Amino acid sequence: MRGTEAFVSAGNMARRRGSVPECARVSDLERRLAAYLAPRLPGASAVEVSGLERIHGGASRETSRFVLRFERGGERVERRLILRRDPPGSLIETDRRVEFAAYRAFHGTTVPVPEALWLEESPAPLDHPFFVMEELSGLESSFQTLLTPAFLPLRPRLGHRKWTILGEIARADPEKLGLVGPMSPVALDACWQRELAHWERVLDEDELEPQPITRAVIRWLRRNPPPPAQKLSVVHADYRTGNFLFDREGEIRAVLDWEMAHLGDPLEDLAWGINPVWQWSREGLAGSLLPKVEAIRIWEAASGLRAEPAALLWWELFSCVKGQGIWVSGGREYASGANHDPVLGLSSWMMGNSQDRAALALLGKLA
Amino acid sequence: MKPDPSLVLERTVQALLGEIAPAMTPPYRAASVSVQAMLLGVAREEIDRAAARRVEENAALRKLFAEGAPVVRDAGLRERLGSAAVSADPSLRVPDLDATNQALRALLIGLHAHVETLPGPEARALEGAIWRELAASTERRRIAIAPF
Repeated sequence: MRGTEAFVSAGNMARRRGSVPECARVSDLERRLAAYLAPRLPGASAVEVSGLERIHGGASRETSRFVLRFERGGERVERRLILRRDPPGSLIETDRRVEFAAYRAFHGTTVPVPEALWLEESPAPLDHPFFVMEELSGLESSFQTLLTPAFLPLRPRLGHRKWTILGEIARADPEKLGLVGPMSPVALDACWQRELAHWERVLDEDELEPQPITRAVIRWLRRNPPPPAQKLSVVHADYRTGNFLFDREGEIRAVLDWEMAHLGDPLEDLAWGINPVWQWSREGLAGSLLPKVEAIRIWEAASGLRAEPAALLWWELFSCVKGQGIWVSGGREYASGANHDPVLGLSSWMMGNSQDRAALALLGKLA
Repeated sequence: MKPDPSLVLERTVQALLGEIAPAMTPPYRAASVSVQAMLLGVAREEIDRAAARRVEENAALRKLFAEGAPVVRDAGLRERLGSAAVSADPSLRVPDLDATNQALRALLIGLHAHVETLPGPEARALEGAIWRELAASTERRRIAIAPF
């Protein structure tokens, strides 16, 4: 979860590490990573990993950058890469295989993503499952950066690109992308039921206190089901400012954090991206970038789909349930001691309240 | 307790954000310290109002239950509402107030779900009162640095 970059992007850094000094731990991890990669690099010798360093990369996986060097055919090769390793606990329980498949599927398409290279689901090599992908350096992701003088003029262009790319994700054919399989298909008229049941279960299992607003929203959603999805799409499921990399020209260079991706109603993504809780600039702009109506218009043009207002409202309210599910499960991880990342406590307090207010606003009940 | 705990926390937050975090490396550790500081800042905000907002909300919920009980058709729920309406906070300690608040909020969910199924203007009026209390509850918990 990187949208609340100031705190969320701190990601999983306060976990207990035992008595092993940090430098020794990193050195050991570098050695083991090099040992893992060496047999996966045909013709390579003198494989080295160095510079392993934790970076901002979301609270669902531990993200580190590192430099891979090796010799091949008499030449020295250097690659800057990213290690995404499962933590013991996180904001959301996710499937790394799905995330890896999504990166692979969209690489080289109009949806920019980094190249995903190796997936390891066994905990043996590095204690936890992980995958490795290319590092795209020199780019920005935080919403705070967007609000600096240098980037303020770029927001309309970034907003246009943001919702155009989301429209392209919605337009894409999951079958042709090879994602039906890694992601479970669902009937067009059952997308909403599957997602709502999932997040209601998360709340049932993880809430630390009663959630009367979210429970009322769930009942409303069941009484007012949306129309069937217009098509079955890949749903990124966490597409928002903070989860893409952008440059100083206002271009989006990579969409990240596909760990919750699934097949479903494309309106789910649109609704999540325009949820009021991402209005960090407090200007009423969707994702702190563009007016909501403009974002929807761009998405419709790019996707070839229609965001019918009643259907979109259903998914916007659903987003509030999903958001609350994420915040309360993070709060439980923090409270239980499974994960000491302070972002989990902070998001449970702060985003939980904002999420309730967003639900009330959507229902016309905000004081 | 002087200096006020809230003042101490405020100064601590300032030091963490303004002096300690900027001097830390690597960047993700600096970010972690900043998050810890923000967490303390929110805790400071909550400490100031912790007892007051719980007392206020528990009283508001009891009043709502007292007014709503006659509308309720389910005998068991009506009895639980009646009991809750005349209950009292066991103490002004925050954990005690919190436990009571959670029990009352759980009962509110049951009342809300029940009232939604009832026809008639009285039920609609009660439903409106519940939504007003829910809106008020988010304001009581509102956090200054929150995005919305």
